[in-house]
Amino acid sequence: MTADLTLRPAARLTRPRAAPLRLDTAIGHAVMVILAVFCLFPVYWMIVTSLRPANEIFDATLWPTSASLENYAHALRSIPVWRMLANTFAVSALVTLAQVVTGLLAAYAFARWRFRGDRLVYSMIAMTWLVPFQVVMIPNYLLVANMGLLDSLSALIIPHFAGALAVLMLAQAMRSFPAEVIEAARMDGAGNWRILWQVIAPNLRGTIASLAILVFISTWNEYFWPLLLSRSPENSVIQIGIQMFMTSEGTAWGPLMAAATMASLPILLIYIVLQRQVVQSFMKSGIR
Amino acid sequence: MTSTPVVTPTAPHRRTGRWRISPWLYLLPALATLILWVYWPLLDALRLSFFQWNMVPGAPMTFVGLENYQAIFALPKFWQALRNTGVYILGLLPLAVLVPLAIAIYTHDLPPRARNIYRAVIFVPMIIAPVVAAAVWRWLLDPGHGMVNEVIGLLGHRPVRFLQDPKLAIWTIIVLTGWKLIGFSTLIFSAANANINPSLIEAARMDGAGKWQIIRDIRLPMLRTTILFLTLMTVLLGAQWSFAYIHVLTGGGPLGSTTNIFYILWDFGFSTLSVGWSSAAAIILFLGFGGVAFVLFRLMDRYSFHDS
Amino acid sequence: MIRKTLAGAMALLASTAIGAQAQTIPATVDQPVTITYYNYNLASTGNGADATRRMIADFEAANPNIKVEGIGASSAELTSRVQADIAANRVPDVVQMVFSDLAYGVDNLGVVGLEDIVPQAELAAHFQGMSPKGLKLGVLNGKTYGLAYTFSTPVLFYNADLFRKAGLNPDQPPKTWAEVKAAALAIRDKTDAEGIAAGIFGPSAGDWLFQGVVRSNNGAILSDDRKTLTFAEPAAVEAVAMLRDLYDSEAYTNLDVTAAMEGMAAGTIGMYLQTSAIQGFLVRGAEGKFDLRATTMPRFGDKPQRPNNSGSALVIMAKDPVKQRAAWELMKHMTSKEAYTIITRDIGYLPLRAEIVDDPAYLGEWVKTHPLVRPNLEQLEMLEPWTSFPGPNYRQIQKIMMEGAEMAVFGGMDPAEAMKAAQDTAQTMMPK
Repeated sequence: MTADLTLRPAARLTRPRAAPLRLDTAIGHAVMVILAVFCLFPVYWMIVTSLRPANEIFDATLWPTSASLENYAHALRSIPVWRMLANTFAVSALVTLAQVVTGLLAAYAFARWRFRGDRLVYSMIAMTWLVPFQVVMIPNYLLVANMGLLDSLSALIIPHFAGALAVLMLAQAMRSFPAEVIEAARMDGAGNWRILWQVIAPNLRGTIASLAILVFISTWNEYFWPLLLSRSPENSVIQIGIQMFMTSEGTAWGPLMAAATMASLPILLIYIVLQRQVVQSFMKSGIR
Repeated sequence: MTSTPVVTPTAPHRRTGRWRISPWLYLLPALATLILWVYWPLLDALRLSFFQWNMVPGAPMTFVGLENYQAIFALPKFWQALRNTGVYILGLLPLAVLVPLAIAIYTHDLPPRARNIYRAVIFVPMIIAPVVAAAVWRWLLDPGHGMVNEVIGLLGHRPVRFLQDPKLAIWTIIVLTGWKLIGFSTLIFSAANANINPSLIEAARMDGAGKWQIIRDIRLPMLRTTILFLTLMTVLLGAQWSFAYIHVLTGGGPLGSTTNIFYILWDFGFSTLSVGWSSAAAIILFLGFGGVAFVLFRLMDRYSFHDS
Repeated sequence: MIRKTLAGAMALLASTAIGAQAQTIPATVDQPVTITYYNYNLASTGNGADATRRMIADFEAANPNIKVEGIGASSAELTSRVQADIAANRVPDVVQMVFSDLAYGVDNLGVVGLEDIVPQAELAAHFQGMSPKGLKLGVLNGKTYGLAYTFSTPVLFYNADLFRKAGLNPDQPPKTWAEVKAAALAIRDKTDAEGIAAGIFGPSAGDWLFQGVVRSNNGAILSDDRKTLTFAEPAAVEAVAMLRDLYDSEAYTNLDVTAAMEGMAAGTIGMYLQTSAIQGFLVRGAEGKFDLRATTMPRFGDKPQRPNNSGSALVIMAKDPVKQRAAWELMKHMTSKEAYTIITRDIGYLPLRAEIVDDPAYLGEWVKTHPLVRPNLEQLEMLEPWTSFPGPNYRQIQKIMMEGAEMAVFGGMDPAEAMKAAQDTAQTMMPK
């Protein structure tokens, strides 16, 4: 709703002028439709292929002539899909929670105090995204192993306990939080802990929500770190399951597409339900 | 992703100077995590890059000076990979910056309902997992049975070897990477575009400015920060975004035509677990991209539009 | 933290090394023990994984004291994983190791020589009936370190229907590279199909097929003393130049593994030189559509072909005597007549025990209905070991060699120059 409010002035200004722009509008629609097809078709094709019976897998009709769930049955037989989905969900949810909490705490430190080295620490956090994953992969593997966490889901969670994105995004949001409100809370005798959780956090719901969505999706989709840690299918995430269908002894396209569909469906559902929220948060926070 | 990491905190009501414990307590969980899992390994890599060692307990750890670095720079494919990295970046810029910019400006005039639907649709690739995307694209582009080549066949052409032809493969990977980013960038631009004060535009219109003049004189300057930011993201992360596709689809081939600096360093360093090579590769990556980032941030500081 | 690992590991190593050297493993496993089994078939779906799990279950049923923890990692990553786990103090017990990693495993990762831990008589009894050529594949410096497990030979698959359409006689498949070229060109001219594809190059190809081609021209990639690289010597360059000519004449099409396999299975490629392990996949594609046949790897003129194996050996890394005994029991089980029957029939590899092929209790019946396995068995008699490069940079050396050859064959570089440049770069990475 808020998105509509912020957008309305611009929309209102253009509306009276819509008539002379009709050709423009038509071209605009055409461009967008082409782009939309380009973006959506692969996803559609994945779902369609997953529904084709084995003997029609190479057909190029736009929809399956006879839909069948045999690819799904095959995928469920080959890998523990439900277990893997549950693992992926647990890991993504816990990582999201952890990053929001650690991010709020760190962001508050920057918003509340000026202290020796604050700029240095802030840029150090920002610079972590300059360190490619490949650089820390092996030492992290050893560290996880020494902690005795190999073949456990916590190995997928603990290294992502905090994220630069979370800290930076929340620090940005807190920066624009009205200082008077904090001052007022302090006058009322609220401590830092209470200010953070009872005054600031509730007011940053929008930012927190969009951050949570971003972190959840990117954790769900993560591949290389789980690949390095994967030992048994039961303790793996769904992305590893997908990869197991791409073997050097021939790719089983039908079951692969079925597994890929099952891996993407939860995210797609979240997106469909929360789409306004995602887009809105992007619009609202924007880049200042 | 939406915040610019260059900005340093400048809240108004803080007291300066004294050493305090509280901020550090609040920082502790995040900072400890990042130090333990990012910075400490990085420092260790710096040390190990001067050794030859295979991590095996009891195996000799030999100091070799700069030999690991020399070996990497002497790789026949290193310079090809570096060139390719440039191609990736240049190829991605239109897809990650120019096209989304045009779309965002163009679709600003479309009815809100249609606009929101389009934006929702083109954002979908961003949430699809790289592995899934790679698998689906491999299926679509398959020279034998892929949908894309079926269509090309209907038009009477021979199948195109999107991922097997050394001249085409890198462009295929670029388009696949762009596929993922185009919606994301469009959303960012739309957000920035929507933030432009409508009265500015209305004022220009009163003065008789045309549609193109408004874009050129008002919208583009106002969007400068966003343009610079997305350009910077593309330059710094473009090679990384392609990594998953290269890894799953081409393995750097054919003939090294799709390899980039990340992939070659991964291929020769990390995937063989020779600590010296991979640590040297890590340091090269970090310093290289750190240098590029530093220059770009300076440029961005100087040229970005400060309005808020 | 790496240093800490090192210290701990050395302490551990010191305490167990004595046990290993004492070379008395108990005759039986009397107490419950769990061993880890690193296996790349477990990292994918399909027949290989199912068969492997079944064999592990059979083993556990027969040896109630031993529990096997199967750990899956893809074949390309398996050795890195083993190495990382050793570095993390989790030494694997039994590993399915790709042959090109074997030298590295022996020199650097502590693969155990079977003669060092298993009593001579017991070893001899188990080796009874194994192909002597096959046994040799796992021998290094005079000791048996690995037993060939899932291994295969290069086979030239061909589409007999396309042969007929092109006016060729499918009963007399090409035996030399010159004949291959003529047949491929005929297929290309008279049908819509491609002439020949080969799994020699590509990200997951390794260098095993390439080695076979070079060796068949009496070339070598490495000197006998394993100190000098020789893949830029004239015989090797000549082999590369032959492939280049094959490609330039458009007889040879450059497809990646997936595309080539699917093309061959769909009947759009005339011939395909690849590991016999993909036979099952091709047979499923060809069934009811075309006549799929197979012959041995092509040779150079009169020189006999000298194929080498692909695939993996089982090796033992366990350091503790009880675990070594358990590991050896697992190894025996996985290289038994029953296991090779499953490996050949369900996963598509070769039996190291030739006697089971005609034994109706094992493969007898199956071979009758699956004649394609014959050229594979024929080549078992002439199989030579897949050479693995020495030293810690063995993988980089292999990659540089393959990149040089690829540039020469497909990339338009002069074969002699490309191989020389690759050899010079790679030689600096050899152990000094």
